[in-house]
Amino acid sequence: MMSLSPSLGSPYPWLRELKSEERGLYLIHLLLTCTNHVASGNLENANMALEQISHLASPDGDTMQRIAAYFTEALADRILKAWPGLHKALNSTRLVMVSEEIMVRKLFFELFPFLKVAFVLTNQVIMEAMEGEKMVHIIDLNAAEPAQWIALLQVLSARPEGPPHLRITGVHQQKEILDQMAHKLIEEAEKLDIPFQFNPVVSKLENLDFDKLRVKTGEALAISSILQLHSLLTSDDEAMRRRTPLLTKCSNGSHLQRAVPMNQSSLGDLLEKDNRYSPSPDSASSSPASSIASMNMEGFLNALWGLSPKVMVVTEQDSNHNGSTLMERLLEALYSYAALFDCLESTVSRTSMERLKVEKMLFGEEIKNIVACEGAERKERHEKLDKWLQRLDLAGFGNVPLSYYGMLQARRLLQSYGCEGYKMREENGCVAICWQDRSLFSVSAWRPRK
Amino acid sequence: MAELENPSSMAVSAASGEASFSSSGVQNEPGELPPPKKKRNLPGMPDPDAEVIALSPKTLLATNRFVCEICNKGFQRDQNLQLHRRGHNLPWKLRQRTSKDIRKRVYVCPEPSCVHHNPSRALGDLTGIKKHFCRKHGEKKWKCERCSKKYAVQSDWKAHMKTCGTREYKCDCGTLFSRRDSFITHRAFCDALAEESARTRTLTIGEASEGNSNAKVAMASPPQPPLTPSTSVVSPALSIQSSVSENPIRLSPPSSNVKCLPATTVANSTPSCSTTVFASIFASSSAAPSQASSTLSSYSTMMSNLPCSDCPTTTPTLSAIEPTSLSLSPSLYLSNNDSSLFQDQRDPRHYTATPQPALSATALLQKAAQMGAAASNASLLRGLGLAPATSLAQNDSTPTQWNSCIKTENHPLPDDDGLMLGIPSAGNTGFANLMMGSSSFGGQPMTRDLLGLSIGGSGGGASVRGGLSALLTSFGGRFDVAGSSTGGRNAPAED
Repeated sequence: MMSLSPSLGSPYPWLRELKSEERGLYLIHLLLTCTNHVASGNLENANMALEQISHLASPDGDTMQRIAAYFTEALADRILKAWPGLHKALNSTRLVMVSEEIMVRKLFFELFPFLKVAFVLTNQVIMEAMEGEKMVHIIDLNAAEPAQWIALLQVLSARPEGPPHLRITGVHQQKEILDQMAHKLIEEAEKLDIPFQFNPVVSKLENLDFDKLRVKTGEALAISSILQLHSLLTSDDEAMRRRTPLLTKCSNGSHLQRAVPMNQSSLGDLLEKDNRYSPSPDSASSSPASSIASMNMEGFLNALWGLSPKVMVVTEQDSNHNGSTLMERLLEALYSYAALFDCLESTVSRTSMERLKVEKMLFGEEIKNIVACEGAERKERHEKLDKWLQRLDLAGFGNVPLSYYGMLQARRLLQSYGCEGYKMREENGCVAICWQDRSLFSVSAWRPRK
Repeated sequence: MAELENPSSMAVSAASGEASFSSSGVQNEPGELPPPKKKRNLPGMPDPDAEVIALSPKTLLATNRFVCEICNKGFQRDQNLQLHRRGHNLPWKLRQRTSKDIRKRVYVCPEPSCVHHNPSRALGDLTGIKKHFCRKHGEKKWKCERCSKKYAVQSDWKAHMKTCGTREYKCDCGTLFSRRDSFITHRAFCDALAEESARTRTLTIGEASEGNSNAKVAMASPPQPPLTPSTSVVSPALSIQSSVSENPIRLSPPSSNVKCLPATTVANSTPSCSTTVFASIFASSSAAPSQASSTLSSYSTMMSNLPCSDCPTTTPTLSAIEPTSLSLSPSLYLSNNDSSLFQDQRDPRHYTATPQPALSATALLQKAAQMGAAASNASLLRGLGLAPATSLAQNDSTPTQWNSCIKTENHPLPDDDGLMLGIPSAGNTGFANLMMGSSSFGGQPMTRDLLGLSIGGSGGGASVRGGLSALLTSFGGRFDVAGSSTGGRNAPAED
């Protein structure tokens, strides 16, 4: 903690005397200052800001302290990317354990109502669309949480006309997760005596081979996309950058300069306002082979349209974390994650390990991605609902307003959660799930327009 | 001829003696002749040239109307009879159905008290008269499982089964609709009320009947209800109690389908099944955030119709009352017009927004934004509302590539990189003092930092100290100053 020369005593005695509110305000100020420095390439100043923050921020303090901790880590990560060797070295021994990832996802599902509400709404839309259908095929673009489909199975088995023959195609990057899902769902279907089939597709979304989905013409198809579509915007960014030779040139140039980092002006170039640089030379952008296979948003949506689903339900984060400049993104992210951290503060104790894990391994990573990464690396490109409405409309989808029943169920679920901060509101037939006034997630239903 | 057409009635008539034939065309009294081109008669007005057939009840109810004259075997359908007759190897002449003269036939109902007994109200379709007779004068043998509606005609029953329970709309206030349009119309008026009631739940449950609630909700501007005074804290307990007592009554009749709510609410069982199943699955599967756990358990136990009694006040009323929302009295809606209720409601929310003495992060951000809202000419900072104080608004010195990212045209952003929160007040805290202290800077080009974070503060050139060590030493010097914690900081730019 004491990075200064040992001859100094505690450098900021007055810092400790700050009350929580003042400290919070100070932290905000410091964060923004630091971001400014980073954005303008002012490493030394950024460093000092980080230093100051380090005395105040803490992952197990109050909300603002926690947020500051993760944001500064992200900012530091961003700065460090200018030294790719250093950056890689520091990250070389990182362990990525699938079990941890699964656990964190489960925690997100349990500690927050967002996923549950999304599931309830999605399932209700599917139920309504599939009334009277005898064969139902569902494509889950992020097959990680069996609870959603277990609930659907239970409701389907109680249908007056009896359950349909259900086929679920689950897409996910990790085979283990798909195996687990298959196991749980098949078990449930057997219990309920529903003819059921689970087809796993191990793939990233951007490389998804639509043939593997095995959609039969004319079958009753439903698509569920929960917090997945935004990562496809990455490829859009890539495509745009490749089209602009100037920027590419710039990025190449700075690549060379990166090897000699100590010149401040070069740093300034690197961390330039355009913020369109490739952080590491071997990112996907510079290797054409991988980018050919990856689809961009338009292509993906068109492909989905081409499957002729009866209905598609899209759940996305409802915040603009895809701004072109660092400062824009950081400001938005501050607000969104402040709301998310507040949720936890209001519902979970500060000493809870689960809370810490969610904050660090889920939110912390998202923040890092939003703040520190650019180009192909930056996957967390959340956007606001109106952008999604436009995009889906452009791709030939018409909005299907969520039914009163669906919203009623979702509202009841939120209410049963027992925390008054969670709210839900309807906008243009879509649902926005909020914490106090801040909209965090949106759910909307679509069907291909004729 | 008549035999072929109505063989069974022939056979029956001997026994029942009721059958009568009037084979001549009956001129009907309501004498207007339908236009000749029309194939279909006006409803209720049979073709005057038609042959009126009166069949006996037995005939109408009989299922094997068509009887083979050779072997007396009965068939439900004429085609089946014809097929069968082929097997008898009839000579050609007898094989033909003698129907040179196809006359339109209309049928009267044998029941004397029935409107259709009168030939002028005869029905044109044989199947129609059979169904009519069955429906009106027959025994209702078919019963719907869900809603206990009885039907005499099997096809009626089947048609009902297709729609029963699948398309039931239930408003929050408890009114049931089978039609979507009427439901939506109702909901437009009821929605606001329903939401309020869902949130407050502080009133006792008065009248329990749905009929009452319907009637009262229909009232546009209800007068002050007697229950309004009871919006105080006492009522939640009462409302819980009464809802608890209501619950068993409402939900107790067991049904075979364990998953759905029991029989009394069976009319809307399917949608609410899914409601409770979905929600309860998710509710019960969620981990127990400390405050929410008891609520969740109460929600899932709602399935067994008994909300737990020791739940925190606000939420269990929600979950406990939720299936019985129909029983909630109109007083809930009425009292929502009461502003005091609204205020009550606001406070808890406001309270929970700041559970700890510390402000929530969201509140902090808003506060920071407000504090800097004055005199912001930097669009960057405008985002958060943090702007330089007016004294520093010179902006004439070299803009760094500060936030040219943010489209400021050539609006030079404040070279002050410190985002002053613009606290004008004299510092009561060390923090504020810091801010104030550094506002004494003149137009430093770049790195004049409010908090003295910048080294050597001044312009691009001088700022490179060449290494972290210099950074640290300059840092160190300054910190002694900073350590004093009250204003009066030296401008860090020197050095």
